[in-house]
Amino acid sequence: MGLRLLIFACCYLKLMTFSFYIPANALKSKGPIGAGLVQASHSLHTSSKSLAPVPALPEKGGQVRHGIIPEELFQLLYPKTGVTGPYMLGTGLLCYLLSKEIYIINHETLSAASIGAVVIYAIKKFGPSVAAFADKLNEEKVLNAQAVKDVALVGLSQAIEEEKKEQWRAEGRSMLFDAKRNNVAMLLETNFRERIHMVTNEVKKRLDYQIAVQNLNRQMEQEHMVNWVEKSVVGSITPLQEKESIAKCISDLKALARAKASLAV
Amino acid sequence: MTLSLFDQFSSPSFLGIPMILMALALPWLLIPTPTSRWLSNRVVSLQGWFIARFTNQLFLPLNVGGHKWAPLLASLMMFLLTLNMLGLMPYIFTPTTQLSLNLGLAVPLWLATVLIGMRNQPTHALGHFLPEGTPTALIPILIIMQTISLFIRPLALGVRLTANLTAGHLLIHLISSAVFVLMPMMPVVAILTAVLLLLLTMLEVAVAMIQAYVFILLLSLYLQENV
Repeated sequence: MGLRLLIFACCYLKLMTFSFYIPANALKSKGPIGAGLVQASHSLHTSSKSLAPVPALPEKGGQVRHGIIPEELFQLLYPKTGVTGPYMLGTGLLCYLLSKEIYIINHETLSAASIGAVVIYAIKKFGPSVAAFADKLNEEKVLNAQAVKDVALVGLSQAIEEEKKEQWRAEGRSMLFDAKRNNVAMLLETNFRERIHMVTNEVKKRLDYQIAVQNLNRQMEQEHMVNWVEKSVVGSITPLQEKESIAKCISDLKALARAKASLAV
Repeated sequence: MTLSLFDQFSSPSFLGIPMILMALALPWLLIPTPTSRWLSNRVVSLQGWFIARFTNQLFLPLNVGGHKWAPLLASLMMFLLTLNMLGLMPYIFTPTTQLSLNLGLAVPLWLATVLIGMRNQPTHALGHFLPEGTPTALIPILIIMQTISLFIRPLALGVRLTANLTAGHLLIHLISSAVFVLMPMMPVVAILTAVLLLLLTMLEVAVAMIQAYVFILLLSLYLQENV
């Protein structure tokens, strides 16, 4: 018993023998311990083919006829036996198995028929929708990545537009500077003219002041002189002169009254 | 006759070598390996989507400490699902009909959850023996019942899976034998029985998927209590 177990263990483990002729990329995908197998069989770099970029997956899966029989069998047999060859082969094989009782029809055949019916029905009914769903999963992945790429593209093209605008703006720089220069010159001119006016006004104010002072002086002199003359004249009038003038005035007034009265008549 | 009905469940061996090892290891070849490609074919995409969705769903109620169990439970689910579904094919042996296998999966995993609970939060784990709000008079009985319930869990897990699959396979065997025997004698009855067989097959497909899911779900529930 122990010996049989040992033989079986050796046969079982033979599945995992390492060979230097198995390429690494074939081993990497061999299930959960694939990575370990790669480490174990360090293959020599015999060709310059690298592992990346990964070659593209074929567009369609392997073609099958009637769901399980690969198309390659039909292509293989076509030159020798034509179109009906594989079908004859299948029928003959079946008849051989049945007649020689290599395959015996028993209850398992019926259960095979029933599970076969269920499986075929399920595949025919849900196959296309499941395939479409799987395709949609991949599509969504691609769309997400594409969306990122598109956003980046839009952003970058916007940046290009803005850069062009900045370049155009930079061309008009000289006009801008001229305008600025003009502005500054105008400001300076305005400022200068303001200051000139201010100076003029100030100077005029000072001169006006001088004139006013002179006028005032002359006026005061004049008034003073008139007052002095009046005072001296009034002081020089003696009382005698005053009586004589008053008498003269009265006689003049009488004469005028006579004259007026004669005119009135 | 009675013996031959259960012969289909005897663990196969060839020249004294147990073939159950092959039956357990070879379904792995059918599961596609995710490649290092960014976009792969439909099968790999679907498998990736399914496993991601399933794991997400299963581990939603668990806290972060329980997420360590994600690879184990997800891979166990794929394993049981593949074994169950493949067993429905003709002439294929279903390893999950063997009580030894199912107990071998259930007992260590259940025990792991219990030990984790006892080690990390013993009070909380022991608190499960007495649910809140029980009347005082019932406490002794309830503790005994909860203890029995706890220890029967691995048995229940294992036996549930075994019994469901064995019963299903046995029924398929019986009904297809009935159809086979009735076919020459009473074809109409045979056809009716064949319709029954078809319905049973559909049921068995559902049962295969559900039993695998229930196994994993219960383990995640036990983990939820204890982690």
